[in-house]
Amino acid sequence: MLEILAGLFALSISAGFVGALSGLGGGVFIVPALVIVAHMPMRIAVGASLISVVATSAGASVAFVRDGWTNLKVAMALECATVTGAVTGAYLAGVVPVVVLELLFAAMMLQSAYFSLRKKGDDILSKGDALAERLDMFGEIPDDMGQMRHYEVIRVPQGGLLMVVAGLMSGLLGIGSGALKVIAMDYIMHIPLKVSSATSNFMIGVTAGAGALVFLARGDVSTTLAAPVALGVTAGALSGSRLLPKIRVESLRIVFVLILVLIALEMGWRAITGI
Amino acid sequence: MSKADEDRILRVWTPLLLRTILIAAISVMAIGLLLAYTYAPGYYVLRYRAVQHNQLIGKEKFVGLVDRVLSGQPHAVLTIGLFVLTLVPLARVAFCFLFFIKERDWTYVMLTAYVLIGLIVGVVIGRVG
Repeated sequence: MLEILAGLFALSISAGFVGALSGLGGGVFIVPALVIVAHMPMRIAVGASLISVVATSAGASVAFVRDGWTNLKVAMALECATVTGAVTGAYLAGVVPVVVLELLFAAMMLQSAYFSLRKKGDDILSKGDALAERLDMFGEIPDDMGQMRHYEVIRVPQGGLLMVVAGLMSGLLGIGSGALKVIAMDYIMHIPLKVSSATSNFMIGVTAGAGALVFLARGDVSTTLAAPVALGVTAGALSGSRLLPKIRVESLRIVFVLILVLIALEMGWRAITGI
Repeated sequence: MSKADEDRILRVWTPLLLRTILIAAISVMAIGLLLAYTYAPGYYVLRYRAVQHNQLIGKEKFVGLVDRVLSGQPHAVLTIGLFVLTLVPLARVAFCFLFFIKERDWTYVMLTAYVLIGLIVGVVIGRVG
């Protein structure tokens, strides 16, 4: 038993650690690690991953919410969209063939790799649209000089639509879909990048939680696997986020992209060859 | 209460709620693994190998779960740990829902109610789907 636990901890701590450093979350790394290295069936890996994503989101959100980075109103409004997607996705995960899940996973990894490579400055708006104002979706962030800057939000329905897709992918594949969530908030709704990341992290708990509940209720969660994986991913993510301010992540970016592309190829290959 | 005060209260209580439940869940799961390692390491390995072959043996049932936890059955303790963990988002949304009712912010009462219903529908879909 000790060897199994040591192996699971090694995999999940590394996945949580790399997930926190890359900003993509542990899910995109723990699912392939469990499938490829630990020889776990895809659905069981997805169930265990969803549970661990709930834990890392809660752990990381504590500081972000307390320090004011998370936009709570944006999160709560958009969670309606992600929960709808996540419950649908988790239901579909029980019925669609595994080969479809593996191909979708490969596609999501490539999307995350592309997301890691792109760079974009904040485009802060001082006037939001009517719906965003009705929902009190404004906030403040400190600029380079430490002065607080007010930001407003636009295009809530369009952002919400992409959030449904993010939730769907989360429920289907056991990932947090942080990359898609950040695109919805940062690109579409013009929310500053750091606020988008913190808010996405906060929302991931509910998205993954919705999926995890479907898996738990269906009996697709193995306690044997999910408990050590959740503990390991959380420990890895916490140490990763502690290290984050002290190192230059820019230099690691290319390593993350390479890992993502390699995993995408491996998952795609498994889907095609049926291994 | 002003919007700023509303935000301040949520920012104090939400992290506290998240952290407390997370620590509780992690502690229960760690105890469960320790129990499994001490009393039933062979059974753990058996279950692990079965999972690798896509078979979940010894599925935990809700009925009598608490009794099994009190008698120190490792996998019942692990199941409770996982349940507590999935309660984190549910508890957070429920807290915000009650908070917005108290503040009479009906738009957000409706939005958080939708999320809560979505989470509950998830359980129902999982059980019947």
